[in-house]
Amino acid sequence: MRGCEMGRVTRNTAAPLMTACEVSRYLLRCCGSLREFESYMFGSSLFGVGSDFDILIVGPSGEPLSRLKAELRFAANELPLDVLYMLPAEAEATEFVAREGCIALAQLAASSIPRCRFTP
Amino acid sequence: MSWQVNYALENIRKNYGMESAQQISDDAIKITIPNRPEVIAVISAAQLINTEIATQYHSNYPVMDFLCGYRKECAREGGAIKYLESKSIGWGSAGTLGSAIQTGDIKTAAHKDYFFSYRLIRQIRSVSNLNREFDRVFTMTLANGRSVRVGMIMEYEPTADAIRTFWDRFGPINIAWNINPNGNPTPNAIEAGRSLGCEVVKWEELREILQRR
Repeated sequence: MRGCEMGRVTRNTAAPLMTACEVSRYLLRCCGSLREFESYMFGSSLFGVGSDFDILIVGPSGEPLSRLKAELRFAANELPLDVLYMLPAEAEATEFVAREGCIALAQLAASSIPRCRFTP
Repeated sequence: MSWQVNYALENIRKNYGMESAQQISDDAIKITIPNRPEVIAVISAAQLINTEIATQYHSNYPVMDFLCGYRKECAREGGAIKYLESKSIGWGSAGTLGSAIQTGDIKTAAHKDYFFSYRLIRQIRSVSNLNREFDRVFTMTLANGRSVRVGMIMEYEPTADAIRTFWDRFGPINIAWNINPNGNPTPNAIEAGRSLGCEVVKWEELREILQRR
């Protein structure tokens, strides 16, 4: 049922939100270009909190990156993603993966932990 | 229920309980927390909120207190910001809404990523004119008549891609100002800025630039 009057609470129920593991599986399935990059999740989304999913992509710029961005844009049409793109040199210089406790999407996707909560 | 309303409700309920947030109509939600004023927030999935979209939301939801652009990449045009502020409607990200719920300052809330930095610029005496084109882009005219277009970059450590993407989306800028106090732009980001024709700076460098121009 959809509300049409201001102030009236609607009764329609929400679909359950995806967990970090489900998002990882979904992205790996939808975005074939991820194979050409290293991809991680980090931040509060690993613990099931926060308003979006923080994703780190490490890899080349140019055409492969443009292709991946287009795929991610399509996949994230109804998903709150915050994507950080780094060149390999930037990832190395900032030590971002280790420092932020990033976990590879492939590892998350393969996880069988029911609610998919991680302690980096 | 739209995906962004679903996420917004879920996040508020995680913090304040199941009864704290309800959808009332399409993109509008009602937030009810004990000892706080009731809040009507509109949760938008738009990539860009311009004056027309802001006006339309206000027309659809006349009692709205806050307009939330839920996507991380959502930007607001200066005209939309001016309209919302003139109607005492708060605006910003999901994080801004979350902070405003805590403080209770919903109607005067502005995107928390850019609030302090933009206010700092407004207080500089050598800036004779200031035009906010987007929530994160402004052009300032200095006392000597020179105009400088500045982009506020919120990333913790801006990367080369962040600078190029910003430039592609918002157009040429003279200065990319990394406003996050906790990090620094990567050398690749500084080089990307140089190849585009803009300086990638922190506040200390921007202040020097302002003083010598």
